[in-house]
Amino acid sequence: MQLFVNANYNFVKWRFHWIAFSILWVLIGLGFYLKNGINWGIDFAGGANITLKFRDKVPLDRLRADLADASIQQYGKPVDRAVLIRLPMQKKEGDYAGLTVAKLNRDLNPESATGKVDLNFHGRDPIADVIFTADPDRKGTNDAAKQYYLGVAENIISKRSDLGIFTSLDQAVSAPGVTPGIASVLRQKTFVGQFNVLNQETVGPQVGKELQGKAIWAVILSTLAMGVYLWLRFDVLFGAAAVVCIIHDVSVSIAFLGMINGEMSLNIVAALLLIVGFSINDTVVMYDRVRENKRKIKTRMTLEEQLNKAMNQTLSRTILTSGSVFIVLVALLLFGGKVIHEFAWILLIGVLAGTYSTVTIVPAVAIAWNNFTGRKRDIAGPASRPRAEEPVRAEATTPRKRKAV
Amino acid sequence: MNTNLLWKVALILAVLVIFTVAIIPTKNNPEPIRRGLDLKGGTHLVMRVNVGDAVRLETDQAMEQLKTQATKNTLPPPTTRRLNDATFVATPPSGVSPSVYDRIVADFKNEFEVNNTPDGAIQFKIKAASVSSIERDTISRAVETIRNRVDALGVTEPIIAPESGNRIVIDLPSIDDPARVKDIIKTTAQLQFRLVEGSPASDAQAALATVPPNMKNDVDIMPGTRENDLGQAIGTDYYAVRKVVPVTGTDLKNARVQKGRLGEPVIGFSMTADGARKFGDLTGANVGRQLAIVLDNKIQSAPRINSRIDDQGVIEGRFTQQQAADLALVLRSGSLPASLTTMEERTVGPSLGRDSIHQGVLASLIGFIALISAVLFYYKGAGINAVLALLLNLIIILGMMAFFKATLTLPGIAGIILTLGMAIDSNVLVFERIREELREGKTVRASIEQGFSRAFGTIIDTHMTTIISALFLFQFGTGPIKGFAVTLLIGLLASVFTAFFVSRVIFDIHYKAADRPTEISI
Repeated sequence: MQLFVNANYNFVKWRFHWIAFSILWVLIGLGFYLKNGINWGIDFAGGANITLKFRDKVPLDRLRADLADASIQQYGKPVDRAVLIRLPMQKKEGDYAGLTVAKLNRDLNPESATGKVDLNFHGRDPIADVIFTADPDRKGTNDAAKQYYLGVAENIISKRSDLGIFTSLDQAVSAPGVTPGIASVLRQKTFVGQFNVLNQETVGPQVGKELQGKAIWAVILSTLAMGVYLWLRFDVLFGAAAVVCIIHDVSVSIAFLGMINGEMSLNIVAALLLIVGFSINDTVVMYDRVRENKRKIKTRMTLEEQLNKAMNQTLSRTILTSGSVFIVLVALLLFGGKVIHEFAWILLIGVLAGTYSTVTIVPAVAIAWNNFTGRKRDIAGPASRPRAEEPVRAEATTPRKRKAV
Repeated sequence: MNTNLLWKVALILAVLVIFTVAIIPTKNNPEPIRRGLDLKGGTHLVMRVNVGDAVRLETDQAMEQLKTQATKNTLPPPTTRRLNDATFVATPPSGVSPSVYDRIVADFKNEFEVNNTPDGAIQFKIKAASVSSIERDTISRAVETIRNRVDALGVTEPIIAPESGNRIVIDLPSIDDPARVKDIIKTTAQLQFRLVEGSPASDAQAALATVPPNMKNDVDIMPGTRENDLGQAIGTDYYAVRKVVPVTGTDLKNARVQKGRLGEPVIGFSMTADGARKFGDLTGANVGRQLAIVLDNKIQSAPRINSRIDDQGVIEGRFTQQQAADLALVLRSGSLPASLTTMEERTVGPSLGRDSIHQGVLASLIGFIALISAVLFYYKGAGINAVLALLLNLIIILGMMAFFKATLTLPGIAGIILTLGMAIDSNVLVFERIREELREGKTVRASIEQGFSRAFGTIIDTHMTTIISALFLFQFGTGPIKGFAVTLLIGLLASVFTAFFVSRVIFDIHYKAADRPTEISI
């Protein structure tokens, strides 16, 4: 099967329409940001996130009454009985998630105060300790006994991890290794509390501010580094066009994040950084072609013609590569779970934007630059200058030539 | 097949075998690829060491020492007052010239800048060099103490590392009870034995009122729990305790949980030889008085000294079994030289970690299958070539991660399938090139040759740009994102190898095997 054999689309002709579309898209995103503000996640804004899974129905009203300044929303599907609690940033540093979880534990699990161990809240050590102290299986007080009971406690925790949460003591008692004696200790000295902590995060004000600065610099510097690399490998025009192209792709992705009111988090910045490096690939391939054609085709062509020709020649590769990355990203989006959902979305949009900008924005910038400088200069650099990639190519072909003899 | 090709095939097979072996779990190495905290569950903590505490302690000690020295040299002791963590002022009693202290003050000049103030007092300020050496020392002692505690908890493969800004980064994989672990890490555990002056009272003022007037400057007021005869808490009592601390937690040799009179858990301790001597002197000289056992500025209990005690004792204090065990653990592992403040915490519970790895692997498998189906559909025969290169690529990525002990994180899994998408790109570039050459009427041999060599520069460029951004990602990221950057980098290197070397060799073999075909399936 082959697609786009001898394709001959006039991309360049429509360049002003493309630019208008991109600007419109970014403006729409900007509109969303103006309306909703930037949804800084706790990574940058500071604050705390706590995700809890509940034994029974989520006691939303109770939680809201208990934690007045928190925003509380359902996490995942209702059957998951999970809730995401977001605490706003505090002025002082401190373990806010930890303190809040401890408070909820006191309020929702009054049994804890009686000294019983909460199987949903605690880990294997306290559970092992309770059984070890009672020693129902007559193992004594030596280290071997301790290890024996630790093993049982570990099985109980592992069972809990499989289930997500214990809904009854019977589930804990049915864990492997639980003897009738241990079971009766568990029934007396432990209970299954109302919730299990899926995750908790606290980012203090100082770390949040530092991460914000680091994120912004990382995006800016990587964009510039890309421009410099391509300037050295190709020429200054291309370096500049590449920087514009990257700014375009990143802006389009950020605009999309605004449209879905997504949270600006560390993962999103990671996605943006990847877009910086990856979305430029199509442009590199296309530009390489322009340069190669320059060398091969002796007839004089205008810049528009050169760009159009190269874009059509590489079109099938562009679509295929973007398509294959698209396939894996869609799989990630559909099956990768909630944690990386927005990450996958932003990558997807960024990859699409990268492909789109190669055939739209880059030629527009190149032509605009050319018209601005007012001379029909050779965009692939002067022909007399030795090309950076030639020695590499020579190296790659030499052994094969020898072999062919 | 000529020898050159044979060598290449041997090399590829060797790579395949080495990396496959690296990722097969064995008994000694059940988890060849290390999973990150987000996939395994665990806690990432950034703590700030409040080094000011240690500086203040140094200042406080100097204040006490100055007074002791004055008394020893039969001089009237000055009154001292701390201005901030690093500075204190000593004021001589009225009518006494500050110059009488010159001889003892000289001993402090190593560590302090000493100046006479206009109002006839002496100001001591710790030198900047001393402050920074105290800070360095505090951080390294804090790291050591935390490591002792984490080791005692049996956490496997923890990371405890100092960072700039007086911070310590702590990564604790697979812990299932973060609340307890954090408590244990953060407990300062400064244990002190101090004599009680006067008698306990229900508020701080009343407690101070029971102290003889000449002692009022030499005591601290501290809270403790009031108990009834059954050992139940019924309120707070305030005690005046002497500022001088004759015996501290550093004199402890061991601490463990014991059963008290009523079967309640208490902490039994024993003293080092040096500690036992100090403890014996203290208790022997003060029989009949109350001795306060102070833990982190709170009085745990204040038993009356019945007789001289040398090297054994118990700490009571309404502990649960678990609290007693944890307290014994922190006492054994030593006290922190300064308090810790949480700057950042990220904890993933074990069940969420398990969910994440299931979903990540599922998504990757589906993506991978969709990808190879698409390639096979589009390129047919040559597609097999690409798929083989892709599989080898996957094995190399996982194998390299096992070799370099790189950490696999959830974004890292995304990174792996993304690099596979990119690895396809290299193949696509080459294949499209070969197709073009064929269309131009070149022979199969020349087309393959040209396809590979023409695509080379382009492929290097596309990889370089992504490598640059992966480097920035590594620089920027923490934990999961660093993992993502590492997998990307490894994946990109593997992709260059498979696309050029492996894919080329497969083409060559096919070409030889088909005995110089005039057309190929691409």
